[in-house]
Amino acid sequence: MSAIRLRGLSKTFRKGFWMKPMHALRGVDLSVREGEIFGFLGPNGAGKTTTIKILTGLIHPSAGEAWIGDLPVEVPESRKKLGFLPEGTFFHDHLTGLEFCEMHARLLGIPRAERRDRIRDLMVRVGLADSEAKQIRHYSKGMRQRVGLAQALLGDPEVVILDEPMSGLDPVGRREVRDLILELREQGRTVFFSSHVLADAEMICDQVAVIVAGRVVETGYLADLLGRQMGGVELVVEGLSEERWQELSRASRRSVGHGMRHLFEFSDEDTVEKALDEVRRDGGRIVSLVPARRSLEDLVVERSRSVGMR
Amino acid sequence: MSSLLQILNRIMVLAQNTLREAVRNRLLYNLLFFAVLMIVSSILLAELHLGHSDRIYRDVGLSAIAGFGSLIAIFVGIGLLSREIDQKTVYIVLSKPIGRWEFLAGKFVGLAGVLMVQVVAMGACFLGVLWLQGAEITGGLFQAIGLIYTELVLLTALALFFSTFTTSYLAGMFTLAFWVVGHLLMDLRTFGAHSEVESLRLLTESLYWTLPNLDRLDLKAEAAAGLTSQGVHVVTALAYAACYSLGLLLAAASLFRRRDFH
Ligand SMILES: Nc1ncnc2c1ncn2[C@@H]1O[C@H](COP(=O)(O)OP(=O)(O)O)[C@@H](O)[C@H]1O
Ligand SMILES: [Mg+2]
Repeated sequence: MSAIRLRGLSKTFRKGFWMKPMHALRGVDLSVREGEIFGFLGPNGAGKTTTIKILTGLIHPSAGEAWIGDLPVEVPESRKKLGFLPEGTFFHDHLTGLEFCEMHARLLGIPRAERRDRIRDLMVRVGLADSEAKQIRHYSKGMRQRVGLAQALLGDPEVVILDEPMSGLDPVGRREVRDLILELREQGRTVFFSSHVLADAEMICDQVAVIVAGRVVETGYLADLLGRQMGGVELVVEGLSEERWQELSRASRRSVGHGMRHLFEFSDEDTVEKALDEVRRDGGRIVSLVPARRSLEDLVVERSRSVGMR
Repeated sequence: MSSLLQILNRIMVLAQNTLREAVRNRLLYNLLFFAVLMIVSSILLAELHLGHSDRIYRDVGLSAIAGFGSLIAIFVGIGLLSREIDQKTVYIVLSKPIGRWEFLAGKFVGLAGVLMVQVVAMGACFLGVLWLQGAEITGGLFQAIGLIYTELVLLTALALFFSTFTTSYLAGMFTLAFWVVGHLLMDLRTFGAHSEVESLRLLTESLYWTLPNLDRLDLKAEAAAGLTSQGVHVVTALAYAACYSLGLLLAAASLFRRRDFH
């Protein structure tokens, strides 16, 4: 069974009825396997938050259906085993971290006996044990994010949905969130998170979907997506003559020059061997020689272009 | 499905949070301070201009409680609900396995609690001043204050109803308008009844029966005159307010359920 399933999901916003309707989602189909980390990626305005709000029951789809586990999102029970961290950190500022978790634990119906221990454990886990008695209004951005994560995990959720969990955090904070997401998978939970920071996603996702202008344009296992059209090598050299640079450029799949340095991408090993010989003969220096690999960023930029955005 | 006990428990959690917010944001204290100041000063001013009279003290004091109480009910009710939506704190609450109507019910109960604190404080202050002035304290005063509280609760239901589908500014204006008209319905009906125009008579009559008739909850004049009303009259008024509020809350819940949270 899928942890999350979307079928033909569409959402059209109307600001006022004389305004042009805005198609935020145009038929999104997705299926997230249980126990996996799923990255929902795409540029700003692509429809990530809209999708997540439908999944968490905050907005109603114009068409299509969505399920968490085997329950449609229309029924509140579908959110019983769901943990959610919204985009931005909009929490009841007048509460202390502890009171905030207490309130949400009570809304989840966690019995009093378990509540205390579970909240304590989570506060320690997210590193807020020392600040739990402070009002959230005095928290830093990173601390707010962490109390939000603690809140999302209170109900021992099977599915955790995080909207841009790493945006606005410093490198250390991003790393912590990444580690936490990996830990959640270890514990057998499904994690669905959105991001426009692709480097973060690349390191931890099992599967990804790329959404552009309200449509999913690419979906699958990261290794498959990036592996496609792989092969070939990337060669970086220094101190080539102009003439040799021209020559190697012609032989390569792709080439970039910057000052003394040149980068070439070759499709097969024979050409690389020849190129290396020529570089040495020319008195150039080999800086690096690595297998060429598409990054997630390449993929997203490529797919965004093909849909005619940015 | 959730059991009734679980639902009630969640509503109380949300109500408690609303009350706590009012206390923590010092909103409650500021309003209380202001209201008490107004009650005391209006009684003192009345004495200065109109002379010493138990009836005038009671009348002015009750009017002050009703007037300030209503303004507080309307603006605090709308303020605390729209705050949740504007500041997006509603997101994580509604992403819990709870029905949207429970959120609304929790807000309503919490606001009723805030108003209870207000009315008790204003009422105590008012009775204290009367006692200091040596005026007689009758059972009718308690009836009047009780029904003022009932009116405030009804206004809160009205404010929540408007807040579910329009901006906080318009919701405030609509509720204020209903408050004013709600106190004029009797006069309006009398005016219509004496009119020659049949359609006007029909209009005032139908308004009389559909809009919240706040004069039914008004025992200020009787209480000021030192009279105590019959229990059955008070109970009918309470039942009327309860039914009307419930109707408003049900309508509000059905609108709130359809709403998108951006
Ligand atoms: N309430 C709304 N009214 C009108 N347009 C909206 C509303 N919310 C989102 N949109 C539009 O829908 C598109 C998708 O938005 P969103 O889902 O927030 O994107 P993302 O989270 O991927 O950045 C955007 O173009 C945005 O401007
Ligand atoms: Mg977003």
